[in-house]
Amino acid sequence: MKQTPYFFLLPSILILAFTSLYPICYSIYYSLFNWRWGNEKDFVALSNYIILLTDNDFWIIVKNTFVFSFFACLIEITIGVYLAIYIDRIKYGSAIIRTLLLIPLMISGISVTMLFKVILDNMFGIIPYFLSFLGIKSNFFGSYDAAMPTIIGLDIWWQTSFVFIIILAGLKSIPNEPIEAAKMDGASEWEITRYIRLPMIRSLLFLVLIFRSIDTLKVFDIVWGTTGGGPGLATETLQIYAYRVAYSFLEMSKSMTIMVLFSFVVIFLTAIYSKFNKNI
Amino acid sequence: MNILSKYKHLITAYIVSFIAIAITILPITWLFLISIKSKGETFTKPPKWIFDPTMQNYIDLWDNDLFKDTFFNSFFITIISITLSIVIAIFAAYALKRYQIRFKTAFMQWLLLAYMLPEFLFVLPMFAIYQSIGIYDTYIGMALIYQVHVLPFSIWMLRSFLEEIPKEIDDAAYLDGCNPFQAIYKIYLPLIIPGIVATAILNGIWVWNELAIALGLTFFDAQPITVGVASFRGYASINWGGMTGSAIVSMIPMILFVVFAQKHIVKGLTLGSVKG
Repeated sequence: MKQTPYFFLLPSILILAFTSLYPICYSIYYSLFNWRWGNEKDFVALSNYIILLTDNDFWIIVKNTFVFSFFACLIEITIGVYLAIYIDRIKYGSAIIRTLLLIPLMISGISVTMLFKVILDNMFGIIPYFLSFLGIKSNFFGSYDAAMPTIIGLDIWWQTSFVFIIILAGLKSIPNEPIEAAKMDGASEWEITRYIRLPMIRSLLFLVLIFRSIDTLKVFDIVWGTTGGGPGLATETLQIYAYRVAYSFLEMSKSMTIMVLFSFVVIFLTAIYSKFNKNI
Repeated sequence: MNILSKYKHLITAYIVSFIAIAITILPITWLFLISIKSKGETFTKPPKWIFDPTMQNYIDLWDNDLFKDTFFNSFFITIISITLSIVIAIFAAYALKRYQIRFKTAFMQWLLLAYMLPEFLFVLPMFAIYQSIGIYDTYIGMALIYQVHVLPFSIWMLRSFLEEIPKEIDDAAYLDGCNPFQAIYKIYLPLIIPGIVATAILNGIWVWNELAIALGLTFFDAQPITVGVASFRGYASINWGGMTGSAIVSMIPMILFVVFAQKHIVKGLTLGSVKG
């Protein structure tokens, strides 16, 4: 009977080994070759890594990815936390408000791109139509300066409710006594939020930060569906680049090199999270 | 004064939520309106607010076998993925609750890491092995690779639901002569049905919406609806009716989930992430 728990864990371990360990090992191994579709594979040691890390375009793409992630996280967390603080005060109708705000989170990234392609289309979109009254000629996805902020905007519309839902649940779980005590002492609503509520949900804020930052670094759907990385390299992010290198340039090994480097970043962030989260 | 300021906060709260709801709902409403306009009226300037709604775009989608197939492909992939993950996760979650396990922390960290890994990491290695064992572009192949995301989530969720059940119940089952299988099947399973529903819904939503892996590992037979929707995004000539209609069709099951299972979703999102 001593083996029973391991027997129960075995299917999970096997599946996870096949779906997570195998791809990592395979990618690391073939990132040392110069494999292209069909062609033979030659061992080239670390030259894929050297080529990539000395490539200017690669660093532009890394910068894009982090710029996207930074601003998307910052704005989503700010809006999400403020929304949660406000809606936490509402007693009547909070269930329906929460339901409606949850909708974007349930929609696929590709549907989100379709949605905004229709709304922001230069010729036919409703928003460029209204902007034209103000004399603004808009080009949301096509111009070098506007494309990245537009994609960030899409992500904010799509994912802010993740922050909102989790922070709201955290605020609702705070016991009433310290808040009542602070009210007795004459603390204002904002002081209570700032000095009692937010510190008490510190660990949830950290969780949201890590989940959102990893998720935004992985951005793929909403870029692939709208700009595809363009114009130029304006919105090219790491996963888009890895996709393009594999499917347009057919350089499998180089694509896997990108994903290996990227996975290390994700592993690093995950390790930070599990170090500080004792719940695991 | 105190009462006034209290109401002031409440009124701001309602105004803020009204604005947030408007920003959330208006784009979807607009998309839906365009999808029920006829071709000539789609983009008149100024936009037509009063028009004859037509179902033509949806009829076209239903007649479009390629798109219809993707809908059912997604349906089957989702069902297989969530069934597989829950059956496997129940045993893992039970083992984590009931027994002292060496490397428990390492296992939990592995779950988190597998859950977090970027999608495109899986595509090329899985493509290679799927081609050689013959499950490329099949439901099984897709359901299998999706386990990397849905299985860790299922284990966390079911474990946290199991943790709420007192250990004495399990001990009593043992004294009555239940083996672990009977204990899971007869005692725990009925108690964690809400947890299973929440897990299945959240994993189902993730699988239904997944695009990056599907692009790499399907070609035709197992192409899911996200790829089907994407196929309408032409660069030269854009099929607006197909684009808007297919996006709405892919959203409908998920929006129904939100409306009818909002409690489960919220519980799942918060529980899963608090424990994760």
